Order: sequence, then structure tokens, then C-alpha cells
Amino acid sequence: MTGAIPSIALVGNPNAGKSSLFNALTGARQKIANYPGVTVERKAGHASFADGRPMSLIDLPGTYSLTPASLDEAVTRDVVLGRQDGEKRPDALIVVLDAANLDNHLCFALELIALNLPTVVALNMVDLAERDGLTLDAERLSRELGVPVVPTVAVRKRGLADLLAAVDGAIRSPAAGDVATPAGANDASLHRRARGIARAAILSETPVRRWTQRVDNVVLHPVAGMAILLALMFVMFQAVYAAAEAPADFLEGGIGVLQQWVVATFPDNFLRGLVVEGLLAGVGAVVVFLPQILILFLFILLLEASGYMTRAAFLMDGLMGKVGLSGRGFIPLLSSFACAVPGIMATRAIPDEKDRLTTILIAPLMTCSARLPVYALIIAAFIPNRTVGGTPVGLQGLVLFGLYLAGIVGALVVAYVLRRTVAKGSAAGFMMEMPRYQMPRWRDIALGLWQRAWIFLRRAGTIIAMTTVVLWLLLTFPQAPEGESQVEYSVAGRIASGLEVIVKPIGFNHDIALALIPAMAAREVAVSAMATANAIDAGDDEEAMAQSLGERLQGKWSIATALAFLAWFVFAPQCISTIAITRRETNGWKWPLFMVGYLFLLAYAAAGITYWTAVAFGLG
Amino acid sequence: MTALLDKSPLGVAVRIARIDWNAMSDHEGRRLREFGLMEGCEVTPLHRGSIFSRDPLALTVGRMKVIIRARQAAAIEVEPAA
Repeated sequence: MTGAIPSIALVGNPNAGKSSLFNALTGARQKIANYPGVTVERKAGHASFADGRPMSLIDLPGTYSLTPASLDEAVTRDVVLGRQDGEKRPDALIVVLDAANLDNHLCFALELIALNLPTVVALNMVDLAERDGLTLDAERLSRELGVPVVPTVAVRKRGLADLLAAVDGAIRSPAAGDVATPAGANDASLHRRARGIARAAILSETPVRRWTQRVDNVVLHPVAGMAILLALMFVMFQAVYAAAEAPADFLEGGIGVLQQWVVATFPDNFLRGLVVEGLLAGVGAVVVFLPQILILFLFILLLEASGYMTRAAFLMDGLMGKVGLSGRGFIPLLSSFACAVPGIMATRAIPDEKDRLTTILIAPLMTCSARLPVYALIIAAFIPNRTVGGTPVGLQGLVLFGLYLAGIVGALVVAYVLRRTVAKGSAAGFMMEMPRYQMPRWRDIALGLWQRAWIFLRRAGTIIAMTTVVLWLLLTFPQAPEGESQVEYSVAGRIASGLEVIVKPIGFNHDIALALIPAMAAREVAVSAMATANAIDAGDDEEAMAQSLGERLQGKWSIATALAFLAWFVFAPQCISTIAITRRETNGWKWPLFMVGYLFLLAYAAAGITYWTAVAFGLG
Repeated sequence: MTALLDKSPLGVAVRIARIDWNAMSDHEGRRLREFGLMEGCEVTPLHRGSIFSRDPLALTVGRMKVIIRARQAAAIEVEPAA
């Protein structure tokens, strides 16, 4: 070894407990980025040997063999073979095996050992294997494989010191022997060999208590399972609204206090206006959604860590198969209810190219949290707060539910059409391993939440901060002469007047035209844009200033216009981040432009039909 | 006496007699083998679809539970396990 820090890669099958092991070894000292050129997440971190020398660890995507089926699996192959751009070949491998699933996991282990890098096997989750009635002989396994084997329980941090000591030893004295199967052996012979080794290493095997099977009999029941899934989703969305309210109010209050402090402390000048009306108002309007996004991600992380998510994918596969998708797409689409950006990134696990493309193209139709402020404002202002025909169901809630449903139904219809036109291909497959049920580890969940929160705040601090500042500038200049409306006179107002010509037929007015332009950056900006414009418009008119934004809109918009505005946002692709991530994930501008085009057409049509229908019913 | 896996009764262990690899893509065939589904191994079909459709199929192979589509199961001939 030279003085360089050794780099060690964790490799293994999906569900081998690799990420838990990685978290246990590195703690919070992790860095998540993307591999250059691809959007596969690169998880790297640091740990140290017993004598304090540092090492860098990297957690590779789980895969079954060195023959990849999807983008993230290809990264694993390229890194261990030293072919990944910008990534040096690891100095050693930690091959992670699920102790309870040796037959299967040993196949990939044999392939990896044959690479002749210094290798150590982590026989992980030995506690769960014991629960399942398995007793294993690690030394025998080590002799058969020709590399050190260390039993570990990542979630309880058991065996970690031994594991690192073995890695240290393997790097110092690379194995001379060539015990492993040479590369290129066919699948069947590899499997036979793996099964032989597994049988030799298993000392005893007693029949297991299959409580997990009893759980699956209910959870995967064609009717009961579906009811449980729907109930879970219901609780999840309820929690997103109910539990996020208090922390969101708190954040909103905090931002208000900050604004007042800036106003009270600094003289009234250009910079203060920019900070208070532009930066704090704009970024603040977005940051208040952090609690909602975190609650939604908390549910998603828990469902994934417990092993339920794959069961949900199983249940949804039938429905998704009918429109040419697969159950694999369920996870990205569910994430898209929080935000389409992580949703689209999660499509990397879908092996079929056309299936993946279609899932990306419909992800923006899932009602993401950025639409909530728009929906909430308009519904509160225009939909009467009463129950429907004697039932306890509120009309406002029903409209909100209808908007969610419109997005989902729209997505299914669009997927059906796309799979028969631009994304034509053979029926997507759905082959997936069902992980065992596991108690989620709070540490792992907390770490995942922290990472999501950081990504969200960084986005708010960059792209959204920039657009609000630009909008504020466009609304403030040029200064209107006495007696003219500042909003109408400004650059933004003039652009809006141009756009108004196009959106007038579907019932949109100058307010909406003005809000739509900055909302290209992010949907929620529509609300802050209307607020800013209305505030500037109100000027010194005390009566106007005392009114809330909703009250002011009530006086200026018809119900038909409000409904058309809601229908527009079910479809409109107004989110720069989504367009950018789509460009990166599809490697070019073709598909993001297609996505933006078809969604705007749908939005225009939906808003138009809503407006004309409402006017016909006398709501104009 | 062989039958096709997509029609086998749930909860009954069967042995894979033959797989028609030509009925699926190379990629699907490889993933089946990576799951350990190959001639001679024993599997137990356990769950089939939801209210929407009889697809997909969940089965145990060794200590693993995997999901495949009925289309792939239809290419797998099975016989009663010994």
C-alpha cells in the first residue's frame, strides 16, 4: 500500500442489508452525490481501521450478477471492474451476504471473488437466519470460498471490528490462491456450486415458524390486501395534511418575524425590498412545505424499510399492467406525490427502457406537494365550506380529492396512450425479489429523512430563491408614474398582457397570466406571485390591504375562472426541476420537451373544458 | 404429468421440469436464473394478483420469495414435487 487512503466497496444482492452495514460502518459521515454522467446515486463515506488509519467506503447498488439489467446495476459492474468514469477501482471488496439466503447470494459472491481483488465476505443478518432456524459455519464457508468470512449483524453493530480487521488483512496480503470459480461459468453450474457450498456451511436447519407467511396471506390477499393498501394510503395523506399543520405554521411565523426584524433594523432601500418582498417572501413560501414533504418521505421510507413497499408493488402490478406499466413503477409514482424529482430518480430501478420512460413522463401528473398551496388558496376562496347532502363529507375536501383523482386517472390514460404510440414496446416485465419483513431502524430512517430535507432546502436556496428575486425585479421596474398601476406598468405586467391573449379563451385573467410566468420555475410560486402582485397593487389603499389574498380574488374572479385555474394545475408541467431531471434521466431534450408539450396541451384543454362547462351552468 | 406454473394451484410445492427460454427475452431468462428458477428446482406458488388481474405471481424458491408475471410462469413446465 502507498500512502493513499484505501477505498473499499460494499457489494451484494438487493436485500442483503448492505445499506444498513454501510450506515453502521460510516455513521452520519456520508456524502451522497451522483456518478458523473448518470443519475445513479453514489453513496460514499469514511471509517477508520482499529489503529486509526482512515479508509473510504462506497455503497454500490444491489445487483444479482455482473450482468446488469438496469442503470444502477451497470454502475456496480463498472465500478468493481474499474471501468466507471471518475471512479478509481476499489482496493478491496466487502461482499455482503444474507446469511438466511446463502444459495442465492453465493452465486454473485463467487462471481465477485473470481475478480481477484482483496475480498472479505460479511455474513450479514446472522440473527435473522437464527430466527429462521439456521445455524451456519462461517469457518467452513471461508475455506470453501477462499476468503475471510465474518458474521455480522449490521443493525446491532455486531462483527464490525472483526470485519474491518479482515479487510485490513486482505489488503496487506492479497489472496494467492485461485479457489473461486473462473469467470464465464454458466448460470447453472454457478448455481450448483453455490448450492453445494451453502449446504456445506449450513450446520443445522430446523423448520421455521412462518409468521411472516401468515402476514403475507392477509397483506397479499386479492381483496383484503388491496383494502389495507388503500387504508395505508389514506392514513398517509391524512397525516400529510393534519400533522404538518403545526410545524408549517411555526415556520411561517418564524419567517414573518424575520421579515419584521429586517424591516425594523434596516433603512428602506432597494436591498431591503429585495430581501423582504423577494427573498424571504418567495423562499419562505416554499420552505413552509418542508414538514409535509418530510412526513410523506417518512411514510415512504418506513414502507420501504419494513419490506411492505414490494408488497404494494405486487398488488398494484395488475392495474399498472393493464396500461402497459409494471408494479415497479408504483414506488416512483408514490414518491411523486411528495415531489416528482425524487420520483423520477427512483425510476432507475425499472429495467425496461420503455416502461421507465412512460413512468417518467406520467410522474408529473401525480399531485405533488407544490400544488397544495395553489389548491388550498383557490378551494378556500371559491368552494363553499359545507357538507355534501347530509353526509359528513366536506365539499372542499371532496374537491381536493377529485383533483388528486383527476391526476391519477389522467396518468393511467396517458400511460395507456403512450405505450401504444411513442413508447411502444413489448409488455413490460415485472420480476422482483420480495424482501423479508423487518423492523425499520430509526437511525437509518432519520438519516434518510435528513438527506431528503437537505436536498429540498438546497433547491429552495438556489433555484427558487433566484426566480423570486428575478420576479421581484421584473415587477418593480420600470417604476410606474403617478396614477398608473405598478403591476400593469412593470416588465412582468407587460409580458402578462401578451400572454393574456392566449389564455383568455379558457377564462384566465391578467392576474393568472402574471402568475403563470414565474410559476414555470415552481408551481407554488404562482401563489407567492399573486400575493406579491396584489400587495404592490393594493399600495396604500388600507381597505385593500386589510383583505386576504383569497378575499381579493373572490372579488375579481368568477367561479368558472377559479375552477379552470384548478384544472390547469392538475396537468401543467410548471416545474423547472422536473424538466431538468427529466432531461438528465433521458439523456437529451427530446423527452422533456415532449413532456412539457403534451402536459401544456392537456392543461389548456382541461382548463378550457372546465371553464366552458361552468359558464354553461351559469357560473361565469 | 406436467402442468404450467401459471395454472398450478397455490400453496402446493412443484418441481420445475422444463423452461421454454425462447418464450422470454434473454434478460428475463437471466433474471429467472439469478432468482434460482431453473430446471430441477422446487418452487411453491403462493399469491396471485389482486382484484385488478390474476397477474403477477409470487412464489417461494429456496428461502426466497420472488414475483414474476404470469407470462413467464406460462413458459415454465412443472411436475409434482417428490
